[in-house]
Amino acid sequence: MAGVLVYIEQVGGDVAAVSRELMGKGQELAASLGGPLNALVVGGDVAGLASQVVALGAATVYTVSDASLATYTTDGHVAAAKATVEAAQPALMLASASFQMRDFGAALAADLDAGLAVDVTDLKVEGGAVSAVRPSHGGNVINTYTFAAGRPVVALVRKQSFAEAAGSASGGTVTSLPLPATTMRTQVNNVAPKTGAVNLTDAAIIVSGGRGLSDKDNYYKLIPPLAEALGGAYGASRAIVDAGWVPYEHQVGQTGKTVSPKLYVAAGVSGAIQHLAGMRTSRNIVAINKDPEAPIFRVANFGLVGDVNEVLPLLTAELRQRLGR
Amino acid sequence: MHIVVCMKQVPRDNSVKINSDLSINADGIEKIINLFDEYAIEEGLAWNEKHSGKLTVLSMGSDEWVEQMRRALAMGATDSLLLKDASFAQLDTLAAAKVVAAAIKKLGDVDLVFCGRNSTDDESGAFAPALARALGWAQLTYVGKVLDVDPAGKKVTAERHLETVVETVTASLPAVVSVIKDINNPRYPSLLKIKKVAKIQPPVWTAADLGVSGLSAAATISSRVPPPPRPSGEIIDGPDAAAKVRKLVDKLLENQII
Repeated sequence: MAGVLVYIEQVGGDVAAVSRELMGKGQELAASLGGPLNALVVGGDVAGLASQVVALGAATVYTVSDASLATYTTDGHVAAAKATVEAAQPALMLASASFQMRDFGAALAADLDAGLAVDVTDLKVEGGAVSAVRPSHGGNVINTYTFAAGRPVVALVRKQSFAEAAGSASGGTVTSLPLPATTMRTQVNNVAPKTGAVNLTDAAIIVSGGRGLSDKDNYYKLIPPLAEALGGAYGASRAIVDAGWVPYEHQVGQTGKTVSPKLYVAAGVSGAIQHLAGMRTSRNIVAINKDPEAPIFRVANFGLVGDVNEVLPLLTAELRQRLGR
Repeated sequence: MHIVVCMKQVPRDNSVKINSDLSINADGIEKIINLFDEYAIEEGLAWNEKHSGKLTVLSMGSDEWVEQMRRALAMGATDSLLLKDASFAQLDTLAAAKVVAAAIKKLGDVDLVFCGRNSTDDESGAFAPALARALGWAQLTYVGKVLDVDPAGKKVTAERHLETVVETVTASLPAVVSVIKDINNPRYPSLLKIKKVAKIQPPVWTAADLGVSGLSAAATISSRVPPPPRPSGEIIDGPDAAAKVRKLVDKLLENQII
């Protein structure tokens, strides 16, 4: 058991950014573990993707290609991964922490009796043992788990935790493995893009509103236009999602989405601990609230004390003018 | 039809402290049913009412958890089961799933298990998949809508709400389904029902009852710290809102944030 195996995710026929990040970090971790950096590509037809992954520095790119793997199923993709783990014998397996990869990674770790760390933000190897850092309790606790050597580890990594692989002509090879006979207990009938999808977790700028906006009409009058002026997406606190102003899809916080954008604008959001849990790792936070004692100001890089109903129209107009939107 | 709902007790908020032995200290914070599990309970109740069977709320924990299990009984669960053993306290999610799987196998006649998508304290979302694999059953995670449960045809069809897509998937029964917040509106138990269940003691199964032993966590916690503090911020001052807004936009442009 040595080295690292990266599960490659694909977006429209290309390697996902998070997978390039895992290949970047994987190189360093594989060297520390004294083994190769290998990768795994699973799908309906993955030949094109495999050559992209060789260029990211994989010693061996394992492919498991089968018509039944074109759409993700737990049974199919876990079976493909288990066959690869048997061939590659990695000490550490890396995948992203997306919902699909949590479904996959936890099932794989259970089957392999491996160690599991979910939503990992950092990884290191010391004396042959893997350590994984992961936040819990809404980001209020930062845990470091150290896994005993000799048992494989599955780590599901939060995106943007590591720099992408530089890409090098490494002379790696592609090895195709057959999909073992597998009972598929699920059947995917349909995959549809979310209507009016807001992928808050991918947005570089997010403007969130809270109860300070007084009512639903004000939320829609003030928040989406400001988000549009900034070229961002719009979010909401739990209070106003539960009040039915805004769909759950937009909720940021402990029971909604965890986001980490370049700029997070909290407008009329008091900053309850449940909300802070979902956005406190944002690179820059702007808080606008009429209560100078609101907890949101304690995490803000820039705080503006004022009534959102007065401030937001001015801010939207100012941004439109200065940014030429 | 027999439905099991897995339930965990969590602190209402995550303003927890860290003990010197690196355990989590949630003293003084009100304990509630993990929010996502409340949606799992409601979903279980709705399908149990439709197929008129049995709904067992199952928890692995201590006596302290019984109060929240009674809340699930007041909501309409017909049965309860507490898995309690000193050896369970040190388990990680994958090992805990094996214990719960042993209990579900022992119950014998279970068709469907509902769980919340994750607990709001540990937040890994690994429990439902690990449970399904330990049972050898199908899993449907991040479910935002259950379209049909068909015990005769041994099928469940549901929508999985992922980041950017909605998958419609049919799984064979028995199966494990984990649900998100958007799926339903959990009912409030009436005072009458709360009174009615106030003295119920859930049956307790121990490690010996389940025949599980030798389970352990795969990792040790080598460090547990609060997050680094954010750099102290700046309050934007000005004679009026317009002046403050101009100054804020100046700052955002100067610092190349926009």
